[in-house]
Amino acid sequence: MKRTFNLLLLFCMSIPVFAQQVEFTEYDLDNGLHVILHQDNTVPVATVGVMYHVGSKDETEGRTGFAHFFEHLLFEGTKNIERGEWFNIVAANGGSNNANTSQDRTFYYETFPSNAIEIGLWMESERMLHPIINQIGVDTQNEVVKEEKRSRIDNAPYGKVAYATGINKHLFKKHPYKNSVIGTMDDLNAAQLDEFIAFFEKFYGPNNATLVVAGNFEKNEMKKMVQDYFGSIKSKPEVKRVNIKEDPIKETIVKTEYDSNIQIPLKVHVYRIPGMSHRDSYVMSMISSILTDGKSSRLYKRMVDDEKVALQVLAFPRPMEDYGTYVMGALPMGDTPLDKLAEIMDDEVEKLRTELISEREFQKLQNKFENRFVSSNSSIQGIASSLATYNVLYGDTDLINEEIEIYRSITREEIQEVAQKYLQENKRLDLDYLPESDKEQK
Amino acid sequence: MKFKILTLFIVCLIATNATAQIDRSTMPKPGPAPKINLGEPDQFSLSNGLEVLVVENNKLPRVSVRLMIDNKPYTADKPGTASLVSSLLGTGTKNISKDEFNEEIDFLGASVGFGSESAYASSLSKFFPRVMELMAEGALNPVFSQEEFESEKAKLIEGLKSNEKNVEAIGSRVSSALAYGKNHPYGQFTTPESVESITLADVKNMYRNYFSPKNAYMVVVGDISKKEVKKLVKEHFKNWKEETPPSESLPAVRDAQYTQINFVDMPNAVQSQIIVQNTVDLKMSDADYFPVIVANQILGGSFGSYLNMNLREDKGYTYGARSSIGSSRYAARFRASAGVRNAVTDSSVVEFVKEIKRIRTEDVDKDKLEDVKKKFAGSFVMQLENPSTVANYALNIKTKKLPEDFYETFLEKINAVTVADIKRVANKYLKVDNLRIIVTGKGSEVVENLEKVTVDGKRVPVLYYDKKANKIDKPEFTKPIPEGVDAASVYQNYIKAIGGKDKAENVNTVYLKGDATVPGATFQYQEKRTKSGKSSVELKMGGNTVQKMIFDGEKGYQVAQGQRMDYTEEQNMANKKIAGAVRELNVADGVELVAIESIDGQDAYAVKINETTKEFYSVETGLKIQTATTVEQMGQTATTTIDYSDYKEVKGIKFPFKLTQKVGPMEIEINIEEVKVNEGVSDKDFE
Repeated sequence: MKRTFNLLLLFCMSIPVFAQQVEFTEYDLDNGLHVILHQDNTVPVATVGVMYHVGSKDETEGRTGFAHFFEHLLFEGTKNIERGEWFNIVAANGGSNNANTSQDRTFYYETFPSNAIEIGLWMESERMLHPIINQIGVDTQNEVVKEEKRSRIDNAPYGKVAYATGINKHLFKKHPYKNSVIGTMDDLNAAQLDEFIAFFEKFYGPNNATLVVAGNFEKNEMKKMVQDYFGSIKSKPEVKRVNIKEDPIKETIVKTEYDSNIQIPLKVHVYRIPGMSHRDSYVMSMISSILTDGKSSRLYKRMVDDEKVALQVLAFPRPMEDYGTYVMGALPMGDTPLDKLAEIMDDEVEKLRTELISEREFQKLQNKFENRFVSSNSSIQGIASSLATYNVLYGDTDLINEEIEIYRSITREEIQEVAQKYLQENKRLDLDYLPESDKEQK
Repeated sequence: MKFKILTLFIVCLIATNATAQIDRSTMPKPGPAPKINLGEPDQFSLSNGLEVLVVENNKLPRVSVRLMIDNKPYTADKPGTASLVSSLLGTGTKNISKDEFNEEIDFLGASVGFGSESAYASSLSKFFPRVMELMAEGALNPVFSQEEFESEKAKLIEGLKSNEKNVEAIGSRVSSALAYGKNHPYGQFTTPESVESITLADVKNMYRNYFSPKNAYMVVVGDISKKEVKKLVKEHFKNWKEETPPSESLPAVRDAQYTQINFVDMPNAVQSQIIVQNTVDLKMSDADYFPVIVANQILGGSFGSYLNMNLREDKGYTYGARSSIGSSRYAARFRASAGVRNAVTDSSVVEFVKEIKRIRTEDVDKDKLEDVKKKFAGSFVMQLENPSTVANYALNIKTKKLPEDFYETFLEKINAVTVADIKRVANKYLKVDNLRIIVTGKGSEVVENLEKVTVDGKRVPVLYYDKKANKIDKPEFTKPIPEGVDAASVYQNYIKAIGGKDKAENVNTVYLKGDATVPGATFQYQEKRTKSGKSSVELKMGGNTVQKMIFDGEKGYQVAQGQRMDYTEEQNMANKKIAGAVRELNVADGVELVAIESIDGQDAYAVKINETTKEFYSVETGLKIQTATTVEQMGQTATTTIDYSDYKEVKGIKFPFKLTQKVGPMEIEINIEEVKVNEGVSDKDFE
């Protein structure tokens, strides 16, 4: 009798929340610009975002960091927006803006009180149509980007792990994912003005971009405004996508990296996994959750709480378009040797490979991912970014509402199979991340 | 009649045409501002003092709750005690074990957290009643076991280590300590020693004294009605007993007597963290609050501010410079900061002071002021997207003793700020004669120029502090050379370290082969040297020579990308000085020991070869660890370094098998695979 009750309870809990559907309309302009509109009149704001399908993986050899540097350059002004005015225009209209570059794409956005949204369309269309790319901009931003690198990576504890500059170069041999997004200054110093102009011509056409407008507006008016601002921009030759296959890793890659900003070392295992839209990448997210999400997660409970060998544990997938990486690591407590941490991490991986997770753990995953799904669409700016990402990198905008179905369809057996398939000792990077001061003692 | 219709038609046509051909040359005008509805949260209170604010918002099926206890800040006897109270809450209660507690929260996909005077929980609305119950259980019925105490204490001590080499964290800690004093709650900080002294009784005491409903507020936001909240709060919090927390007077805060630089040495820094600060006496309820926040926005509150446009967009010194002016019932400060590269540390300090003076003396541009006001209006509107904003406003009115219409009249008050107001408050709150400029960075590279910084022609004194904000004498960034040590003895030591004079003298030729790796490419590296002073270095890629440097003992040349360039007389002279198979056997003319410097935290003898080149030998091991060459290019100096490591023995002589060359941010790693002594080299190699 009690058993039936429990089953009933589980059943109740797995009834999906028919929460907020993110309603949207999508279509192409004649010039190939993909447009996504999400109207929500309950908020006083609106976001305009443009995602270009170009990232650091599209850089030519010897020009690492180019895509990100170019992102900086595109704030330098346009034919109708003077140098130095970009941020002032946004601020003076009460808005906020930024941009970011990944291995796969570059995203620019402005969020305004909804009455100023046309300004966002104007600015983004200016940037797409006729930005000013000149030597003053190149020289200034060169220095700024160097300081960005120092702030984020060179002067920051665990910077080479956080930004993967100490990881991806070991894990990728052929694919441009081996290079870091921030790049090397030597490459940037070498770049000439005409190369930047050529980069724009190659990658910044409307047919290589997705425009998202989300928030408080009237859809039909917006469609017209989009046509007015973007319709006349000429399309550019089709962009050829990177298509480079890595050879499988057959032997453990053993490496050591040093960081002068840390005192506590870090043990890291990194596995190569398929690209972000592959089903296995979703399964790996669930595996991460089992291992380190919450105090009852397997690695945290065992290493931090019970055995007290670790100060902190981490496990997360870094999804990218062509391949992903899966990072698992721990910081030792006191004198615990790194080998000991590796041993326990492997032991827990082995359990995932040989045993099904329990029904209760499985239900826990469902609850966690449902909560994550509900929270993921809580701001207009966040929705705009997700819509663009699903469209550009996953090729399926509907995922904003349907991704949760993928997670719901993953079985316990599948979790075990995926662990077996990817979490193999001879297919990974085994990294000791040590304080610089350890170097001299060797 | 007909005519009329036609005109109308034409008008329409023109209108459509006009919109299709938009005028790009000017910015589109924003429409009328969206109507905003501030609204008010529902409120009720319990008899023990707990006040509850509820904002119902059904857009998403989730609820969050935040409990905060608004006690007056106090100086802890043993800093770190509050951290332990916070980390021990949730590790077991009178009714539920730690493991069950954690398991259930995770199972529900919820998050629950505790501070020493706060708690937080959020979950899907369907699980919220249980999650609220768990939060209450964790916050109000803790057991504080000895075992968990020991474990959390050990973690806290270990965790403190993790920031010891973090330039930004140390800079921030020292700046707070110097602004408020180390015995002020805002200035004190936790150290391993202070944590060591904490007992379980201290933790229990602090919890008992301060975790009280007397000054407590709870904010619940989301998919839940006031009625449901009331029921839950009553059920779980009505038995929370009221205690009156102790209230001590706070130590007075004092500004620096004169503007000064306070330097903290962090040898690992590649950027200096600069914090310019003075304390301010400002409350949100003061009339000056509005002009002050507008003034800060102009000085360093945004991308387009004075500081960022100068230090980042004009000079390229930093990724970002910002400022803030705090307001508080107890103590606050003005603080402007940036991370800048070592070489421009002194120039950046000068620019910071310049912009602070500018806002004090120059009238702000009228349009600029209007733009900044519009930014406040926009931000105000945009913040209302988040349903918890309304609750936060209501909470501020209660705790900070603000007038009831503070937020309704907020934008009016911002709009009333004048050009003269900005100048007035800048003069009042930015104390240009009493600034503390805290610089945390690499002393050996930045102090020499920092000591030359002047303001109004007057040198700004540099005072030195350790990482715990204790005043110290100026550290020796280059240590004095012990008596009897000179270039010759350093070389002798080196020869001894690599295998001894006899073996070194028998080396006639050296042949090194390996790989040179730069990000994205690998070259083959080959080097040859003879006792008679000849040398050749060659880089190849796929069998083709990329670069080659040949020196025959008297003169040399370089071939790069097929272009031959003969060495200048100067280059020939320089090469002669560093020639030889083991050249430390002799001390060439002009070579001298100049200092002991810290190289990556290791003391090393600095031997000057000529004006541009220095070589470093470890004081401890005697081995050569670095060569540094400084060149001037277009008015800027750039240093190239080569690090030597991984020494291994070949025929009784030690050679570095790993060479790391750094040119600015670029790294070339040379891994030597093969070393031959007295073979593989012929005179032909140097033609």
